[in-house]
Amino acid sequence: MKSKLVLIILGVASPLVALGLWWSVSETSTNSFFPPLSQIMTRFSDLWLFEHFQSDVLVSMGNLFAGFLIGGLLGIVIGFVLAMVPLLRWMCEPTIHFFRGIPPVALIPIVITLIGFGSEMRIANIALAAFFPTLIAAMDGIRGIDGSLKDVCSVYRLTPTERITRVYLPAAGPQIFSGLQVSLQVSFVVMIASEMLGSSQGIGAMTLLAQQSFMSADMWAGILLLGVIGFLVNIGFEAIKSRVLSWHLGSKRLERAA
Amino acid sequence: MTASSSVINNRIPAGVLVLPKSVSRRVQAAWGIVGALIMLGIWQVVAMAQVFGTAVPTVVATFAELLSLLGTSAFWSEVGITVLISLAGLTFSAVLGILLGILIGTSPVIRALSLAIFEFLKPIPPIVILPLAVMVLGPTWPMAFVLVAFGCSLAIVMQTASGVQDTDPVALSTARSYGMKALEIKTRIVLPSASPYIGTAMRVAAPTALVITVVAGLLGGAPGLGKSIYQAQAAGNTDTLFALVTVLGLLGLVFHAVSTWTEAKALHWHPSHREVSL
Repeated sequence: MKSKLVLIILGVASPLVALGLWWSVSETSTNSFFPPLSQIMTRFSDLWLFEHFQSDVLVSMGNLFAGFLIGGLLGIVIGFVLAMVPLLRWMCEPTIHFFRGIPPVALIPIVITLIGFGSEMRIANIALAAFFPTLIAAMDGIRGIDGSLKDVCSVYRLTPTERITRVYLPAAGPQIFSGLQVSLQVSFVVMIASEMLGSSQGIGAMTLLAQQSFMSADMWAGILLLGVIGFLVNIGFEAIKSRVLSWHLGSKRLERAA
Repeated sequence: MTASSSVINNRIPAGVLVLPKSVSRRVQAAWGIVGALIMLGIWQVVAMAQVFGTAVPTVVATFAELLSLLGTSAFWSEVGITVLISLAGLTFSAVLGILLGILIGTSPVIRALSLAIFEFLKPIPPIVILPLAVMVLGPTWPMAFVLVAFGCSLAIVMQTASGVQDTDPVALSTARSYGMKALEIKTRIVLPSASPYIGTAMRVAAPTALVITVVAGLLGGAPGLGKSIYQAQAAGNTDTLFALVTVLGLLGLVFHAVSTWTEAKALHWHPSHREVSL
């Protein structure tokens, strides 16, 4: 009991100590790549709180969520259709796997040549990147549904809508959510990359611009902000996931207890 | 319906409701080719109708460009550099990740010390620190290597650690009562029992390493295919752009296939990989 407490204290203290070390060691730093943390924090609050908040942070986040939602929803719907119609699935599968092999960031130059540098380019790229992981997860999830569940559906004479909303979607839920999680992570990467490739707006663009003009404190502030956003977005998704899938997690816990 | 074939198989003699598997797989592959041809046809029509102006080259032009690329040594050296950076970063991440993972998995103190920091860093993609890496290392291959290592090692550390923690305590006690030394226990008990976790982490990390190398080239100017794609786009060379992205798609498939195959080969002895043959 006592040792557990020590471990918890160690766990809480270590990141604080690491931050404190960074702060004190960097305080006297004259290295232009690694400015003092205090200076980074000053630039952080100057830049992001709240001068560029609306013009860049909100724009970036808006693109991220718009693209992720479009790509994720399309992925679920099309994944569903492909899982239900074998012929269509056979026809699309090789193409899907080919597209999955392409790093999503490599598609950005193509989308840029198609529709230019605007906001819709960034949303399209994010949606494209978010689409494939969810599509494949949804397809596999629905195809992997236990056959006895389908039998039960027939026995109870469920209508197609009931089957889809009450049985198939929940049964494939855990897999769809792990697909969505991958999609979200890829979306975040593509959000940054699409801003770094020739746009003047957004957190990624500002951070790269700071690097190119050797304003290292500004660059560090951008990196910190992106890191915190990456972390928070993931936490938020985990919270939604555990809420939506609470029935699944609960039943798994029961299974383990039994 | 083939959709429920797996269930039916258990109760009804095969062949009554289900097509023999080999035929159905060949039919599937045939439909796959038909589907791919249709997609290529749509691409060709879109390109010829100039829906997007001249931004989309025709299929014919793309594949002609691809063929001529295949004949140049510059292209192959770029493919080589890309693969080399990915594999170097992956190997480094594996060694570092497994060592750190064992350390974290066996020592509760180190685990407590590092957990919060790793949990914070894990969801942060390497593209976030790309500006820093470019600033310090410039548009070079070490920059790409550092990004790959940052992007791949954390997941391997975490997976290895949970694999190590999952070691059967009875096996551990047995080894100890046989008088095995700490190092022998690590290499003969802990490592084999963590290997499926490590295998999964490596299988996921291999295509990721390729992606990060491409990102480092595309956005950071590191040598390799990513840089070529950037140059093709900047020069408005759409034939080359499409051909290179096609190459990346194929390379991604190769990375995926090789890592899946290697995992299955390396872990063929483990129960989780034996089930299939039963």
